[in-house]
Amino acid sequence: MDREGAETYLRLLAEAKMRGALARVADRPWHSPPGGGRMGIMLVAEALTAVGALGTETVDDILADFDLAVSVRQLHDQPGAGPGMARSMPYRIAPPGTMHAAAVARWAAQVQARRSGPAVRAGWLVLAEPANPEPSVASGADRFAPVGLTVPFYDEGISGDMYLMSFVQTSAGARFITVWGINSTPAELGSGALFPSLIPLDLLTVTDDRGTRYELDFRPGSGLEHASEIGLRPAPPGDVRWLDVAAPLSPPVRLDLDSKTPDDPAAGDQPQAGQAELSPGEHLLLMLADRLLTVVPECLHRWRPPAAPGPEQAMAAGLGDIVAALEAAGALSPLSPVPAWLAALCACLGLGEHRIAAPPAPDLPEHWLSLLAHYERRKPDTAPVRDGYAGAAADLAELDGIGLAVLGLHNTEGNSSLHLLARGRTPESLPGKLGLRRDFPFSVWIRDSGGRWHVAQPAGWHRPGCESPLRLRLVPPLPRSTAWIEVLATGQSGEVRARLPLRWGYPR
Amino acid sequence: MTDPWFECLAPCEALVPCGQGRHVIRWEAGALTLASHADPEAELVLAALGGEKARCVEVAQAWRRHAEDLSVLAIGPRGPDDAIAVSWDDVAAAAQAGGHGPMMPPSGPRAAPHRLASPAIPTAARAQARRHHVEEEMERVTQRRNDMLSLLALGYGFQVRLIGQVAQANADPPDEAMARVRPPLVAAMTGRLAPVAEAWLGIDPDQVVVSLHRPPGWGSVELTGRGEQRRLMVSLPASWLGRVWAAGLPLTGRHLVVAVARGGWPEARVLGLRAPGAEPVPLDVHAVVGPSGAGDVPHWEL
Repeated sequence: MDREGAETYLRLLAEAKMRGALARVADRPWHSPPGGGRMGIMLVAEALTAVGALGTETVDDILADFDLAVSVRQLHDQPGAGPGMARSMPYRIAPPGTMHAAAVARWAAQVQARRSGPAVRAGWLVLAEPANPEPSVASGADRFAPVGLTVPFYDEGISGDMYLMSFVQTSAGARFITVWGINSTPAELGSGALFPSLIPLDLLTVTDDRGTRYELDFRPGSGLEHASEIGLRPAPPGDVRWLDVAAPLSPPVRLDLDSKTPDDPAAGDQPQAGQAELSPGEHLLLMLADRLLTVVPECLHRWRPPAAPGPEQAMAAGLGDIVAALEAAGALSPLSPVPAWLAALCACLGLGEHRIAAPPAPDLPEHWLSLLAHYERRKPDTAPVRDGYAGAAADLAELDGIGLAVLGLHNTEGNSSLHLLARGRTPESLPGKLGLRRDFPFSVWIRDSGGRWHVAQPAGWHRPGCESPLRLRLVPPLPRSTAWIEVLATGQSGEVRARLPLRWGYPR
Repeated sequence: MTDPWFECLAPCEALVPCGQGRHVIRWEAGALTLASHADPEAELVLAALGGEKARCVEVAQAWRRHAEDLSVLAIGPRGPDDAIAVSWDDVAAAAQAGGHGPMMPPSGPRAAPHRLASPAIPTAARAQARRHHVEEEMERVTQRRNDMLSLLALGYGFQVRLIGQVAQANADPPDEAMARVRPPLVAAMTGRLAPVAEAWLGIDPDQVVVSLHRPPGWGSVELTGRGEQRRLMVSLPASWLGRVWAAGLPLTGRHLVVAVARGGWPEARVLGLRAPGAEPVPLDVHAVVGPSGAGDVPHWEL
């Protein structure tokens, strides 16, 4: 990695932005559209940081110099805007709660007053983060088992379903990964409301092959699309062969914890790991392509005034500089085909201002074409996918020092979520302007049993730490007719594929 | 080329509000002098004991703090057309604003996220340490901003002389320091050479590619490619910024001045290029002082 080349490129880019300002004072680049001025520098800086070519301190220094250089030249641009005068900042004040949210909160408080159980936090989709499970002693290797059990519940006029997607046992403890919804409640809640106090956990029993019954504790997810967890205490011993899960009005379901044989259709294929042979720059560009394929279609049907460019224009406008910066940093070969793919992708998505020097490639990767074909044929009034949840679980290989495991699939409100567990030391990180997360440096795609591809993007992270459940949003959503999926996760150093059968369950 | 880097720079002065009056700060032969303060060091001692620090002394301290600071190159002017007008009122307003105000970098220290419950003691200790670190960082950023404003308020003549000083201080670093100083030097040279090249050849400034030349020799200037692929490849030593650019010499008599053969004010001998790829020729030049009589922004002629 040529760190000096990377820093030089970023400083020259800042210099070019300054030069543009001096050439056209009336149209200063720090007032220019996304991709220009500071935004353009930040996009390239984020890319160079992501591939390890630049440290954040260097980036901060360069941006601080740029900001001060801009500020001293703007001092007398606006009357009264001296250096000590406060200027309007682009802060957005959160709108007050909606009537709907207020009504739900009131109702939840009433329910809480007449029930015992876990505390309810008022507010829609603002619930407690799952508590960090205490490490428990468990013998044997980690376990990831698909469950696929619907547990209906009825209690005092409230009914719903809890769906156990998978069973996980790691050093952080044993737990079921669940999603749940409420069917009959006051009208304003609708189905799928998340109020943990409504879960009659005491009606659920879990017993192992030795007759041992386990205590259960509920750790709700932080939103409608997030998975929750039901912890088992103590953690089952390593030689337990099965667990019986029983709920009122439902026959018990036996969860076989023995290793599946290859002939067992429920087992799925063993994950296949391989070398990715990607340069850091290629890997980054492929992740950016995933972002573009996710973001751009969202914007196609969204109303926007013509003068207000969206995030996709900002991303695309920086691509040419990002490619050049990665080459300057030695993170991307000038012979790499990926920039040409990106140029072709931008052309397909109608993003003309990418400024990638390479001519568009005549061919694109199969999974990109699959998604583009989906967008081509999609009609605006297409019915969304119906709610559902699929039991699926597999321990994928470790990629770039992070262990990945599939915990289940979940369709709700027209969106599909793939639930994963990330294990290992992942740096705490928030997505930057490019939408990349340093704590999830992967490109994840799903191929369904119908041969269509779905891109998976991080959409929710329960907590930073050594074991982090996370939610990936699938674009396009996964139809419930899908019998199996193939998960393809690509890191910089390698890739892993796993074919998983799906055990669907549906809300009543 | 063994002459001091500032040989072609005339002395310059600025009036600075200091105490109840306005004092002269003077730059001459690479040094800053405070005409109204006979013993600045003694004044500093008094200030440390609780006395008021004179503005002139503060400015001199800021000059010393940033005499090798490569950030000066990124912030300061790119040429005579890039006037940075900072008034002493601006400096005072920024000082009153403290750590707030629009010139604080958006990428500055971030506040710690809100906590919902009382953190454990080690967590609280870490949070306190982090808060302390953030406060120190904010103080450093504020001081840097105020320093820069003060130095810029001295005017263009001082701004370019400080740039020359910084460039000269970093012009010949040990090999192990080259990776650190080369990127900001290359950017600083590019930012100041590109508009000169545009005026010299009419080339797009974005097509100027600068690299650092390490002596011996003056370097090279070559034109390559055509159309969008045209590039002016320039390799000059970092000292060019102080010796040539800061002195206002870079484009003299339609020549790109690449070196000073014999420094002096207002007469000097320089090496100039008539065209890219040519060998530099010696040129005898003399400075033409503007109507104000000051040599802050000189114009040189053959």
